[in-house]
Amino acid sequence: MSNPQLPDPVLEVSGLSLSDPPVPGPVLEVSGLSVEYVLDRGSVRAVDDVSFTVSRGEFLGIVGESGCGKSTLLFGVAQLLAPPARICGGTVRFQGKNLVGLTDKQLSAIRWRDVSVVMQSAMNALNPVTSIGKQFKDAMQAHGVRNGDEIAARSAEVLRMVGIDPVHLRSYPHQLSGGMRQRSMIAMAMLFTPDLIIMDEPTSALDVVAQRAMMVQIKELQQTYGFAVIFVTHDMSLISHFSDRLMVMYAGQVGELGSTRKIFDRPRHPYTRGLLEAFPSIRGPRVPLKGIPGNPPDLARLPTGCRFHPRCPLAVERCMHVTPGLYQMDETLVRCLRLADGDTSQRTDEHRSLTP
Amino acid sequence: MSPTTELLRSDHLTRHFKIGSALSRRTLHAVDDVSFAIGEREIVALVGESGSGKSTIARLLARVYEPTAGVITFEGKPIKAIRSRRDKLRYSGLVPMVFQDPFASINPVFRVQHGVLRCLKLHRPELSGKQRLDEAARVFGVVGLGADMLQRFPYELSGGQRQRVGFAMALAMRPKLILADEPVSMLDVSIRIGLLNMMAKLRDEEGVSILYITHDLASARYVADRLIVMYAGQIAEAGPIEDVLTAPKHPYTQLLLSAVPDPIAPLSEVTDRGEPPKVIDPAPGCRFRWRCPLAIEECSAVTPALAELKPGHEVACHVAQTGAEARAFAS
Repeated sequence: MSNPQLPDPVLEVSGLSLSDPPVPGPVLEVSGLSVEYVLDRGSVRAVDDVSFTVSRGEFLGIVGESGCGKSTLLFGVAQLLAPPARICGGTVRFQGKNLVGLTDKQLSAIRWRDVSVVMQSAMNALNPVTSIGKQFKDAMQAHGVRNGDEIAARSAEVLRMVGIDPVHLRSYPHQLSGGMRQRSMIAMAMLFTPDLIIMDEPTSALDVVAQRAMMVQIKELQQTYGFAVIFVTHDMSLISHFSDRLMVMYAGQVGELGSTRKIFDRPRHPYTRGLLEAFPSIRGPRVPLKGIPGNPPDLARLPTGCRFHPRCPLAVERCMHVTPGLYQMDETLVRCLRLADGDTSQRTDEHRSLTP
Repeated sequence: MSPTTELLRSDHLTRHFKIGSALSRRTLHAVDDVSFAIGEREIVALVGESGSGKSTIARLLARVYEPTAGVITFEGKPIKAIRSRRDKLRYSGLVPMVFQDPFASINPVFRVQHGVLRCLKLHRPELSGKQRLDEAARVFGVVGLGADMLQRFPYELSGGQRQRVGFAMALAMRPKLILADEPVSMLDVSIRIGLLNMMAKLRDEEGVSILYITHDLASARYVADRLIVMYAGQIAEAGPIEDVLTAPKHPYTQLLLSAVPDPIAPLSEVTDRGEPPKVIDPAPGCRFRWRCPLAIEECSAVTPALAELKPGHEVACHVAQTGAEARAFAS
């Protein structure tokens, strides 16, 4: 960071509030989180110095391509990492309490009661040999609910909340459709009305119609019960109408972080622009698209300087050896040297091709 | 029906599967009375939700399944008449498949050239060893891979590169029609466009037709010339893609369109849950009627047949066929 023209990288991310949360005060503060996979031939850093906050009742979307570290980040936040992965730096503060380094016993008191996780594939996340009701019961008993009537009543209640008839408490996962399985996973995550639900691509196995119905339902539940959501997906357009804030990850780092609407209206990072331009539109003129050239980098052999420079249409020589920080531009954080310089004349209007 | 010379057509194609035990015999109607045609140099998108019979159609066309009823005609001859080993081999070379999962469809223990060379050896035995290598390099070039890629192992390739290898393998057999079953759905968004562009190039420069099976309407619109929308084993609507997407006649097509995520457009109201239909021993009547806000009495009695409303644009819906302009789902 020797260049005097650059604004200072924003180090203190947690202090920023980029949206208007219903109730102030973050429910989750992640700062400087780094996760490594320790391998024989050295370690690979899949999540590198990631900081963000989630306010009470907020919907944070995290998007990125496969291998960008988004799932590893979620696992790191939920303290679900298993060797060879390990957290090698940073803190995850949930309601003020650092989760990093807690024992399994300490964590299990919080898990499911205060934070729950909905995994990508409900087909694999539900136990195929026990009924849905039995799995709900297990979760409640693990948190000390012993009263059978109470368990039955709450189980039926959460299933009704996601629009499934409580008779399905007796059903086995294979008897439900993909959408119903995924909804019953969400019902299970709400058993204790947690403050935060972490979702890892919960809709990726569903058809468009079911996907849309699921997104609307998640949003409604969130508004009714006030929990915060971290929603990870590779499909940026899916969350455009649902998330309050958006974090775009590239090669283990935050590429862009800001209000969802602002990012869609004016994407700044060349990678974000590329992602938005990679979606063919269902309306408007049929224009040839280019996508983003090249492939996402191998985390074990990262490019020098800016990690996006080999694929970046804006890249100049400096991008190859100067490592960009996160710069604040208006209310958005962007990791791009060229934008920090203010020298983006050639592309500022190009993303307008998206508008019909 | 199709603007170009007809390459393949299916008439009343039907495939049923027997399910259940001996005491409770039931029949799953995976594909029911489906008729369509694919022309030369044409990309036809086959769209529908999972379980709608899209993949079954691809397998019927690839002769993996025998049809329960109906006829598939390729280049004017019914494919049922293909008996000899030589003719079967010729057909599978002319109509190859490209699969969804590029990580499972390439043998991981061989270099990627292995599959291409095997295809060439089997389907084009007249080529010498040297010619086979040259041809492998050529098809790799067409799909946008360097000749140095031939020597790589699958694990060294990204998902997008592997899927290109799948297309190169198909291309090596000098195909007329490639059956591509969800070829981009497992790839990252930034890679997908490249592959779709390559498919368009195969059509424009190599003269290959492609049956593009997908659930992504936007990508279908990007590459395809015509669109076939499947619902519960039957064709709901078919026609030139822009005609169908700008003026969808079938309520299911309207529902699909309204559910496509679009960051630019305001969020449309969709109350439908997306529950897939049951096609086990179906009673007569429209299979979409339970989800359809426009359903009339006739819909529960008579199965609607495809009828041409505009040139090339066919719809199987009683309400649309009366000429009503009602929209079931706004998009």
